[in-house]
Amino acid sequence: MNDEPKNSNPQPEAESKANGSTVPMWILSLTLVLIYLGAVYFDHHGGWFDPQVYSPYKNAEELDSYQPKSGAAAILAQGKQTYDRICNACHGADGMGKAGQAPPLAGSEWVNAKGFKRVTAIPLDGLNGPITVKGQQMTFPSGMAAMGAALSDSDLAAVLTYIRSSWGNKGEPVTADDVKAVRAAFGGHPAINGETQLKTMPE
Amino acid sequence: MNGNATSQYNLSADEIDASCRVPLLALFNCAALWLALGLALELLASLTFHMPEKFGGCAFLTYGRLVPAANDLLIYGFAIPAGLGVMLWIFARLSQTELVLPLVPIIAAHIWHLGVFIGTIAIFIGDSTGFAWLEYPRAPAILLFAAFLLIAISALATFGARHQRELHPSHWFLLAALFWFPWIYSTTNLFLLSGHPVRGVAQAVIDWWFANNLIFVWLALVGIGTAFYFLPKFAGRSLPNYLALFAFWTFILFAPWCGIPQGAPVPAWLPALSSVASMLIIIPLIAIAIIFVKTVCGAKTQCKGGPFCHIKFGTVAFLLSSLMLISLGCPHFSKIGEFTWFAPAQAQLQILGFFAIVICGAIYELLPRVMNFELPFPKLVRAQHWLFMLGLAFLIVPLAIGGIVQGLKMANPNLPFADSTNAALIFLRVSTMGLLFLLLGSLLFAANLFATFCKWQCALVKSMLGIVNAPLETSEVKS
Amino acid sequence: MKSGFRVFLAAFVALGLSWCGFVLAPVLQLGEAKQTQILNSSDTYPIQRTGDATLGLQVYRANGCAACHTEQIQQSGMACDVILTSAGKNSAAVSNLISNLKLTGLTKEEADAASDKITAAGGKSETHIAATGADISRGWGIRRSVAADFLYDSPVQLGGIRVGPDLANVGARLGNANWQLLHLYAPQDVVKNSAMPPFRFLFNVQKIGDVPSSDALQLPKEFAPAAGYEIVPTDDAKNLVAYLLSLRVDVPLYEAPFTPPQISTNVPANKK
Repeated sequence: MNDEPKNSNPQPEAESKANGSTVPMWILSLTLVLIYLGAVYFDHHGGWFDPQVYSPYKNAEELDSYQPKSGAAAILAQGKQTYDRICNACHGADGMGKAGQAPPLAGSEWVNAKGFKRVTAIPLDGLNGPITVKGQQMTFPSGMAAMGAALSDSDLAAVLTYIRSSWGNKGEPVTADDVKAVRAAFGGHPAINGETQLKTMPE
Repeated sequence: MNGNATSQYNLSADEIDASCRVPLLALFNCAALWLALGLALELLASLTFHMPEKFGGCAFLTYGRLVPAANDLLIYGFAIPAGLGVMLWIFARLSQTELVLPLVPIIAAHIWHLGVFIGTIAIFIGDSTGFAWLEYPRAPAILLFAAFLLIAISALATFGARHQRELHPSHWFLLAALFWFPWIYSTTNLFLLSGHPVRGVAQAVIDWWFANNLIFVWLALVGIGTAFYFLPKFAGRSLPNYLALFAFWTFILFAPWCGIPQGAPVPAWLPALSSVASMLIIIPLIAIAIIFVKTVCGAKTQCKGGPFCHIKFGTVAFLLSSLMLISLGCPHFSKIGEFTWFAPAQAQLQILGFFAIVICGAIYELLPRVMNFELPFPKLVRAQHWLFMLGLAFLIVPLAIGGIVQGLKMANPNLPFADSTNAALIFLRVSTMGLLFLLLGSLLFAANLFATFCKWQCALVKSMLGIVNAPLETSEVKS
Repeated sequence: MKSGFRVFLAAFVALGLSWCGFVLAPVLQLGEAKQTQILNSSDTYPIQRTGDATLGLQVYRANGCAACHTEQIQQSGMACDVILTSAGKNSAAVSNLISNLKLTGLTKEEADAASDKITAAGGKSETHIAATGADISRGWGIRRSVAADFLYDSPVQLGGIRVGPDLANVGARLGNANWQLLHLYAPQDVVKNSAMPPFRFLFNVQKIGDVPSSDALQLPKEFAPAAGYEIVPTDDAKNLVAYLLSLRVDVPLYEAPFTPPQISTNVPANKK
């Protein structure tokens, strides 16, 4: 029996590597075309590596546009965000205020008043001097700056709505139009001088 | 490369082959056993769909333990060691040297198969890691990693000892494969199974990356590397060199980026990159197809179900399985094909249709040379080829079609979910037949290997007895 | 290529690039993720699972449930509905307007345009957003799964094939522990034509003592044990059910917004 396999011969069996073949041009062009198409596809569908963009959203702007913006819950969320950013530091996350710095907002009769004009004027103009909240007179050496003057009407309305419905407060929401009206009447005025001047303003 | 150069080398092909004998047998024998066992477990798992009641009583028979065990046996038990064995032989032949450090692969083979054994037991007792294609827990994973490194040392040493410095295209693919597995295996195990695994869905991303790089890229590197060695040899032609270089570069650049399923709970950039990569994979596939056609078409060699047939069929199966992978990367098709039997069909086509057939063909070709005698059952080679082709036709085609049918029904929310599974049942029944044929084919393969091993052992014993009983010869003193 | 070193370099570059893209980048971007917030609420999400449910995840893993079930809901689009909240002063004009407008199943641009028309006519409207897709229409979930849903899972069991239904929101869909236990013991009893094999090894058959166990399953005749015996779930079964009941994907997040079915707030929707 022939033990040698058929192909065996003294020559080495490694293949000759003929250089006769070249890479055809069309395959190189096809590669470039596909790379270009791939880049276009990724641009449209890849969300540009944003960790929050999932399909079917194409990019961060589209995802942002689909975030719920109308509706009462959205207003509260917007107001809370602004409150956390601007008011939290002095009035506290629980609305209880800080002694010597800011009066409490929770249960405050000024916040829960039927009208919206006074409570809107305070952040628009600022407030100095003593104020009685829940039967207790309080003074605040540094007073409150016009923290809400730089906010837009809808932002300020959202913050006020949030304050008037949190921590047990039962005030009615404030709309952007309400803020606009108060801003027209009282905006740009110097800081309100204490409770006495506040009481002269319409509710 | 001309014939004159060989006269410088004192080694004949026989000596090179003989040096590979024991390491390769150590790798191949157990690999054939794991192949048969893996296919048997796949068959058992598929029976769950036809008689679910019988599989309810025992934790070891539950589908969720059978399928991972079977899959891991196919890839870790059979594919990787068999591929490494063929790689060692190709390196030795291309280097025109004996296998360097032959003891190292022998030890490594035993460590590897021990790791596979422990890992399979671990899955059955409920210690699987829960990650697809990575179910072996830490201890067997360390064994597998160490064994691979040992084999890689011997392979690299053999490669380094080559006389001719110019590289063959097979060298590129096989060397890349040697580098690929340790990196993907170690990094995946470190991120997913170490003391502080990464948190959340990043685990799934790394697991998908690993599965793609193992099943698609690594098997392709070794399988195509092997095919690029044998096809020109069988056909008596030369391989187009620069086209192979182009195929190599584009493949290793684009293929590792496939694998993230569309619609996965990850940010959109991950599936988008995979989609782009799936599209770009067309390029190396076209290149490989051209190389295949140029090398094989019109060749005078007949194959008759022998190793040449195996490797030709396997290469075509690779092109088909890659097309299936590309279609899964396309968002429009994946809406239907994802989460159906289409994806397992593609994985099985890659492992069984492409890799197993190419490696079996390679083993049938090199084993007689390594052992220096013909295969004990040469007719079984052709029988196995036909059984595998039939088995694949009955396994892959129904699963793929069944997957699409299932996906179409799932995409219609007006139909109850059970409709989709029940529609796929008839296809699953046919695929079970396919698994049966594949199992029979693998048993024929194992029979040839086992008989070769026995014949070799008998020859060893006979020669040792001959040595023991021979009269002592004293050296003549020459005056 | 002429040298092995160049091959090594090529492989290193290719594999290194994909490692950076699919291992390093996700680890940096997702692996250090922290809890996020439910949309329009200060509640954090997700909540760590209870101990039972965490043990149940390990039972899920050990038995390879992910081989048949996925835990990822998919979404193919978004649809907007415009709801009229106030007719304003010109209610006749507004109702005439909305009877001619398409108000459901709109894209965002169409919804904004319709909303603007209503506002111009003096009314007020809200836009509600819903996720769309086959999974969502089938009732498997209300939005797609995102990374935040899996923050506390280890190992994450996303699954890859749906031989069985998706389980991402099964705690909200099929939140009855008894149903889940029955389904594990005898799937064909609760789901006709189910392809799921029974998981009887998660249960014990025990002799009924003086009093039947409160855990015992109530089974119909063809699945019931022999007389005098009862089927009691093991700890594994109970933990697995606790895990299944903890699987919920029903809160809106920034990356997967939708308008929850009821907005609960102590502020009325309109004033005046």
